[in-house]
Formats: sequence, C-alpha cells, structure tokens
Amino acid sequence: MNTQTVISKEDFAKFREFFYRKTGIQFDDNKRYFVDKRLLERIEATGSETFRNYFVNLRFQASGDELQQLVNAMTVNETYFFREEYQLKCLVTHMLDDLVRRKTDHSPIRIWSMPSSSGEEPYSIALYLLEYWKGIADWDVELIASDIDTSILRRARQGVYSPRSVHNLPPKLLEKYFARCSNGDYQLCDDLRQSVEFTRVNLMNPADLRGYRDFDVIFCRNLLIYFDDLSRRQAADTFFDALKPGGMICLGHSESMSRISSLFNVRKFPDAIVYQKPLEAR
Amino acid sequence: MALIRSTGIASLAVSQSDDLQALATRLQQGTPGERREAARALAILPQTSALLACQLEEEAERSVLEALVTGLAERADETAVLALLDCLRSEDAALRNDAIEALKVAGRHHPVLIQEALADSDSDMRILAIGILESLKHPDVELWLIDLIEHDPHLNVCACAVDLLCEVGTERAFHALELCRVRFPDEAYLGFAISLALTRLQGADGL
Repeated sequence: MNTQTVISKEDFAKFREFFYRKTGIQFDDNKRYFVDKRLLERIEATGSETFRNYFVNLRFQASGDELQQLVNAMTVNETYFFREEYQLKCLVTHMLDDLVRRKTDHSPIRIWSMPSSSGEEPYSIALYLLEYWKGIADWDVELIASDIDTSILRRARQGVYSPRSVHNLPPKLLEKYFARCSNGDYQLCDDLRQSVEFTRVNLMNPADLRGYRDFDVIFCRNLLIYFDDLSRRQAADTFFDALKPGGMICLGHSESMSRISSLFNVRKFPDAIVYQKPLEAR
Repeated sequence: MALIRSTGIASLAVSQSDDLQALATRLQQGTPGERREAARALAILPQTSALLACQLEEEAERSVLEALVTGLAERADETAVLALLDCLRSEDAALRNDAIEALKVAGRHHPVLIQEALADSDSDMRILAIGILESLKHPDVELWLIDLIEHDPHLNVCACAVDLLCEVGTERAFHALELCRVRFPDEAYLGFAISLALTRLQGADGL
C-alpha cells in the first residue's frame, strides 16, 4: 500500500452510508479512527492502492467476499458470558412474565439460542433464569442452542471456558457453577451443561428447520449483520415460523428486524427493544 | 420446576411430501403456515417462479406474501423479477417495500428489466426503480442516473437520482448535474442536493 493513502472526509461519508445500508451499522464521527484503521488494513490486504479502487471493488464485487471481510474487520467477534446483559435482564424482568401471563397451559417455556457459538449465550440464559427469575419455581424451561459449526458445538457441550470468557460473571456465580481447571480455565458444572440441548442447524436450509417450532423466545444476536439482504429475509421468515404467536426475538444491539421484515411488532421494554410475532398471527 | 432438556426438536419434525404437485397444492390450499412453508420449499426448486407469482396475485395473508416475495427473490429469473416489478404498482405499501428489497437482490441478474422500469410512464415507478439501483452493482448505473437527470421531466425523479449520484457518481456526472440545476432553477432543495453531490464527487475524486 502507498504509505500516503488516506481516507478523506468525503471518503468516510461515502463509506459510512454504504456500510450502514449493507449492515445497519452506523459509525459516528467519533469512530473515525476505528473505521479508518480497518479500511486501510483492507486496502493494503487487497492491494488496492487507493480508497477509490478499494471502494469500487467493494461495491461491485459479485461474490461479496470483500464486504464479508470488511464486516468481519468492523465487528467485534468475541463472545463471553453475560454479553449484552441488558437483554438477559429484560428476559427475566419483563419478557417471560409477559409471556407466562398469556400461557393457558402449563407446557414448558421454549427458548432458542441461535447461533450458540461455544455456548456462552445459552448458558448465560440458563444462569440468568436460575439466579434471577422467580418464575423458574413454577415453570419448566427448555433451552435449545444451535449453530452451523459442529466443532463449535462440541466445544459448547464440553463447557470449558477461558478466564476471558467468564470475566463478566459475578464471582459468586463463577464459584457456584464452575470448577477451576489446572490450566486456569473454568469447567461449567454438569447440571447446567445437561440443561441445554445443542443442535446443528443451517438457518438457510428449510429442511433443517422444520422441527424448530413453538418457541416463546429466540435469541439471535449479531448473526444477521453477517448475512446479505436475501438471507436476512429468509432468516426472518424462519424465525416467524419458529415462534409461537406472541413469542419474542432478541437481536444484537446493532440489528433491527424492522429493516428486514414487517411481520413483527416492536416491543419496547425498559431494558431492551425486542420483536414480537403478533398474537393474531397464524 | 426447572431447566429441562428438550426432546422436542425431532418429534416436531414433519415429513410432508416435497414433490412439486404436493407443494403447489399446499401453496394454494394450505393454512398460512403451510403456504409459507410451501413457498420456501418451492423457492429452492427450478421453474417454480410462475407458481409463486400466481399465488402472489391471490394471496392476502401478510406473512405468506412476504415468504412469496422472498421466494421470488431467491428464484431471481425473469418471471420472478417481472412479478416483483409488478408489486411496485401495488397499493399495499408493505408489499411495495418488500418488493424493492427483493429486487435489490434479484434485479442484479436482470439489469435490463430494471433499466426499463426507469423509463416507465409512471413517475412513482421510476422513483422506486431508482431505489433499487444503489444495490444493483451494474457498471452502467451512473449512466442511467445521468440520463434521468438530463431528461426526466419529473422533479422528484431527478431529486432521487441526484441523491444516488452523490454516492455512486463520478466526474462524468458533473455536466449533467449542472444541467439539471438549470432545468429546475426554482427548486431550492434540488439545488442544495446538486451542490452537495458536486462537492462530494470533487472531494472524493469520484468513482
């Protein structure tokens, strides 16, 4: 790369609009350094010489591979226990109570975590239910966690985590549910590991998804930003069918169902905004 | 009560026939859930666009309409794109918006059809077609936009085209932008948009 390559103010404005349209992610001016640094890295990696050349390739590349690379560079891919905890709080303080008020039978509450990655999210949900939801005394809860990657599912079932993965957990929960391994990692207790059903699912394969029905809550956070527009629409259709009427879906903080599908209602709770399948939906 | 291990996924799986005739029947006569499922299953089979397009004209259930539009976007053949373009004339705003999003994907395979929509006699159709262009990834998009701002008689069509040129234009658009300003001398908003476009294109060295 030419060491003089710079991202001008106009370049940044152009890129910001483009990236927002593609991903829904909006970069404020105070993210300029963050964005420029990653853009320059991608310009260098692709041998593009200038922003102009790079942006042409980004916009017109048929495969969309470079956009994917850029999305990966612009997003933080780490996951850890109690990530985006405000939604977990919302689950136990508002969403579940709202859901059980309408439940006419006493069937289990069904929650789907997708993608599960190495298990931090579904196990966080389990921990939150056990520790912070009084309703757990009265209701059975089924937790299903899915991912397309079978190796990551194996890791999830093993339930062994680095100190970084558990850094956000209160010490008393760490002590209560984990055992320290000799190498410094943490092993999740068997009871909790057994409480989550891990399954392999390709969200884009209708045949994989036929059995995924009657969920009360779906967590699908920070996945749709990696999808193209068509895949997002297909995923929204899938979630619509997977939810019971009145069921709710939590997306990542930078994702909005309203930009993908008009099938869901927006529910604003004090802790979070979620999307609800209409009660009258068939 | 407690967290319990689910056994529900496998038992909930249904095994309905996926042959074309069975899917077509479910698409036309099933419950809304069955019609959505049939639409998605048909979308991955070849030569099903006509079936999906036909049901699109009959369908009233919002969620099935969305599945049909998504299915047509997935098929993305000429029949599918024409059916989606027809949706832009609908009185149903949600359907129009769905179709625009779908055409941003499916239109890439049939740029000529989108170009034809830019010349439609209905200015609303032309405006909606401009909304599709930004995702079209076609090398002539800028030329089509330049042609619009040089010749289209409708102010709002030109304004939409200028907005998009602001992002995708190059120095090739300078002259047309100035001409457009002359064609609509009393329209302050358009003048502002043109000035912004010229500044952007000059500052960014164009594209």
